[in-house]
Amino acid sequence: MGPLSSYLLFPEWLDLLIAFMIGTGFGFALEQAGFSSSRKLAGMFYGYDTTVLKVFFTAAIVALIGSQFLNYFGLLNLNQVYVNEFYTGAAIIGGVIMGAGFIMGGFCPGTGLCALSIGKIDAFVFAAGGLTGAFLFAETYPAIQDLANSNYKGAVKINESLGMSPGLFTLLLVVAAALMFWVAEIAEKRFARPEITNEL
Amino acid sequence: MEMRKKITIILLLSGLILALLPLSANRSFLIKPEKLLSDVLNSDVALTVDQVAKLIVNEDSTIRLIDLRSPEEFSSLSIPGSVNVPYSDLISSDLYIFMNDRNIRNIFYSNTAFYSNYALVYARGLGYKNSFVMEGGLSEWFNTVMESKFTGERISARENALYETRTKAAQLFTQFNSMPDSLKAVFMAANKFSAKKLDGGCE
Repeated sequence: MGPLSSYLLFPEWLDLLIAFMIGTGFGFALEQAGFSSSRKLAGMFYGYDTTVLKVFFTAAIVALIGSQFLNYFGLLNLNQVYVNEFYTGAAIIGGVIMGAGFIMGGFCPGTGLCALSIGKIDAFVFAAGGLTGAFLFAETYPAIQDLANSNYKGAVKINESLGMSPGLFTLLLVVAAALMFWVAEIAEKRFARPEITNEL
Repeated sequence: MEMRKKITIILLLSGLILALLPLSANRSFLIKPEKLLSDVLNSDVALTVDQVAKLIVNEDSTIRLIDLRSPEEFSSLSIPGSVNVPYSDLISSDLYIFMNDRNIRNIFYSNTAFYSNYALVYARGLGYKNSFVMEGGLSEWFNTVMESKFTGERISARENALYETRTKAAQLFTQFNSMPDSLKAVFMAANKFSAKKLDGGCE
């Protein structure tokens, strides 16, 4: 019965070690998929390369299907799995800021660290920018506290707020993903930039 | 067929199976931690054993006592009218099954206050405001209700009423628990559904 960490009461060092190993594996997979190139990530925005969408969405739906099945067979208790808390105001404003940083820097936080680990200079600048942002957020927190905590919705899941069964939501998301992949492939053909994609 | 098309079809089929499976709708914690803390620390959520005794003696149909102990402990000794939901079952199943009726106050108890307080935080965190605890659990019940004695020379009317309630509750408890197991089982089964039947409120 999972999650193992809460059922077997792992000590903190073991939790951290497992997190480190998963993180390393994640970073390795990102680097292998070519995500440490900011041109690949910017391709998502301009439409010439939609690998990012396909890889992340595939990972999400595979994990979603897998966890639902494990839950159904009693191997994983989804009630014990942490769900991120949702603050509507903060999510919108934070999303816009992060999106802007994403397209300017050409990395998301994960791929930025990946690129940093293989020594890319732009990734150093990106990471420094991210840390500066974190520092500014922490220093100005008292002033923006009310905004950051506004419209708290709790650890709500989409299927719950729609009053839908988790299984049905999974199916709809898989269908949506398949449609998005199809549109993405059309976009790749229309906005093709062979001079960039050949180098990636 | 291309590999990616195969994978897409497998994922779609898995999604279809999931949509048809009767998955329990796992609810999430929706309350802010500070709100949850102030809710569970509020004295309104903890009923004293005397309050519970009074409700039992009055055969109040708006409450349901939930016994969080193991089935063995429950069948050997329990408060009349309570339903057995072991703590491990409670936290691993959908609370909706036990607590969907908002008109019923669910009162948790176990041997001590330990598991009932856990269950209270769990249920309140999931938004079930109809959850309460019996303060001190069964050990407090024994100390206060079962071993209730009158000492002293004079008794006030208030003390007398309290003493009477305790004695009646203790009597019910003893009668109920000295019934043969087969009879007890019938009583428990009938009791499980009585809350629903009495919902009309024509007392």
